[in-house]
Amino acid sequence: MAENKGTKKTDFKTRCQTTWKDMVKYRWLYFLLIPGILFFAIFKYVPMGGLRIAFMDYNQYNPAKSTWVGLDQFVKLFSKASFLPVLRNTVVISLLKLIIGFPIPVILALMMNEMRSLKFKKVSQTLLYLPHFISWVILAGIIMTLLDPDNGLITQLIYNLTGERVMVLTSTKWFVPMLIVTDIYKGMGWGTILYFAAISGIDPQLYEAASIDGAGKWKQMLNITLPSIVPTIVVCFIMNCGNILNAGFDQIFMLYTSHVYEVADIIDTYVYRMGLINSDYSFSTAAGMFKSVVAFILIVFVNNVAKKTGNEGLY
Amino acid sequence: MKDMKNHLTKVRRGRGEVAYGVFNYIFFTVLCIIMVYPFWHVVMMSLSSVEATAKGGIFLWPKGFNLDTYAQVFKDPSIWTGYLTTVLVTISGTFLGTLFTATTAYPLSKKDLPFGKTMLLLVLFTMLFSGGMIPGYLLIKGLGLIDNRWALVLPGLVSAYNVIIMKSFFMTIPESLEESAKIDGATEVTIFWKIVLPLSKATIATIALFTAVGYWNDYFSSVLYINTKSRWALQAVLRYMLTNTNQAMQSAGVTVASATNVTAATIKSASVVIATVPILCVYPFVQKYFVKGVMIGGVKG
Repeated sequence: MAENKGTKKTDFKTRCQTTWKDMVKYRWLYFLLIPGILFFAIFKYVPMGGLRIAFMDYNQYNPAKSTWVGLDQFVKLFSKASFLPVLRNTVVISLLKLIIGFPIPVILALMMNEMRSLKFKKVSQTLLYLPHFISWVILAGIIMTLLDPDNGLITQLIYNLTGERVMVLTSTKWFVPMLIVTDIYKGMGWGTILYFAAISGIDPQLYEAASIDGAGKWKQMLNITLPSIVPTIVVCFIMNCGNILNAGFDQIFMLYTSHVYEVADIIDTYVYRMGLINSDYSFSTAAGMFKSVVAFILIVFVNNVAKKTGNEGLY
Repeated sequence: MKDMKNHLTKVRRGRGEVAYGVFNYIFFTVLCIIMVYPFWHVVMMSLSSVEATAKGGIFLWPKGFNLDTYAQVFKDPSIWTGYLTTVLVTISGTFLGTLFTATTAYPLSKKDLPFGKTMLLLVLFTMLFSGGMIPGYLLIKGLGLIDNRWALVLPGLVSAYNVIIMKSFFMTIPESLEESAKIDGATEVTIFWKIVLPLSKATIATIALFTAVGYWNDYFSSVLYINTKSRWALQAVLRYMLTNTNQAMQSAGVTVASATNVTAATIKSASVVIATVPILCVYPFVQKYFVKGVMIGGVKG
């Protein structure tokens, strides 16, 4: 303890020395970290540095000749008539998915928790989780089959019921509802799993005490199960809010056509077309960067709100 | 004790609760049918005759059962090359990805590692912010990996989320187990390999499975980085068949004149089935590991 009374400079020096000693001591741990550091540096942080081309006029044939243009690309982005609808579509689609889709797993988890037959519960869980593991490519293939304008099963069903041939995949009116329904189909089962994790952590004595006090199953669900999973609900909600600009690239990319661009073109699909089809690298990087930055601010913001309101945050 | 609890609840089950129980079973039975039916339907479509699929109304069973479509689709070399690429990419990506996830997570699970906290924050940050599509593409281009299958493997090797799951698991391993080995003079690498990894089999299996699903389902890396069709992953081949059916039919050797037994609709359903079957075969057996993984990750939040 006595050594600590030295001047600030030696204090810093000894700290450096002990750190260095620790580093030597743990040299083999750093050795293990090498591939991970290389991976994150090259594949995560180099692309972040690559965002600088959003402030340039990138010359793809001779990158060295690119010129700095400051915020010009962003000015261009917001003055472009085509971008504002894209932004609106992104927010509309993901808000609808959030509002309609978010409560469903909560309700499903609560209902499934009441199931008495374990076997039945296991089978339903297995089947409900399944679409989560199936790619959007495959699901899009199935959706295209079901919604085929000539002989799709659902098209025919709608025709028999209403006498109308609805071409869902090319209809600006039905495309977005279709996105929401299929998104719920894919995600609702797997969405229950975090709630199950929370439910499995509830002390069974709570239920025993409640049933001795005469509380029925319904009251137990409302007063024990539901309050116990509220923290999980909050964390999931935060994650979803942070994702508000992710309207579901794979799903839309697989299913959309130029017929429905006006309602279904989102930031990611726009970035893809502007960047990789039109080769306007700087402009589309600016669009993508706008999205990343807003998403980052959003997630930090909602996390703080969650913490201020007394809930556990994401980090 | 358990009997008593059952007894108690049995006594207290009112009429409303019984009715709710019945409703619950019916509800979930219907839901399960909705989950499975779309898959069933494409299988039936792919097994039906051209006339039947054109007329529609295929519901529970195939109409005009035949395997011509499959025979035709399997003639398309791109299905086979797609499978080859996907299998190669999934195996190498899962192996390297899981290994590097573990080697990254283990040192970070040590609380007193100098700069460990900083590095963990840098890993976490990649969950919240990323360079995005175009800088990622330019990186692969800069590395000279365009049209190389490694471009399908490398960018997805390690995910911050998996590192966190692994790290929280490693932190539950009692320090004493490692201490005794350290006294015997083993380095951390030996401890990691001989003690920590064998203790973490279940977690490693989970991470490996999630990584494998990610690689198996990846189509977009092929779309972005691979120009030569014979090097595309299966999902990218499938995407091509779905969105460009006419070209796809030609590449399967179907010309307008010979196209008597197959149509776009049957080709599409057959290729969907071919790409889905492996997952459906494996899924029921590995599903519990996925659940376990989320439970581990979910406990810590």
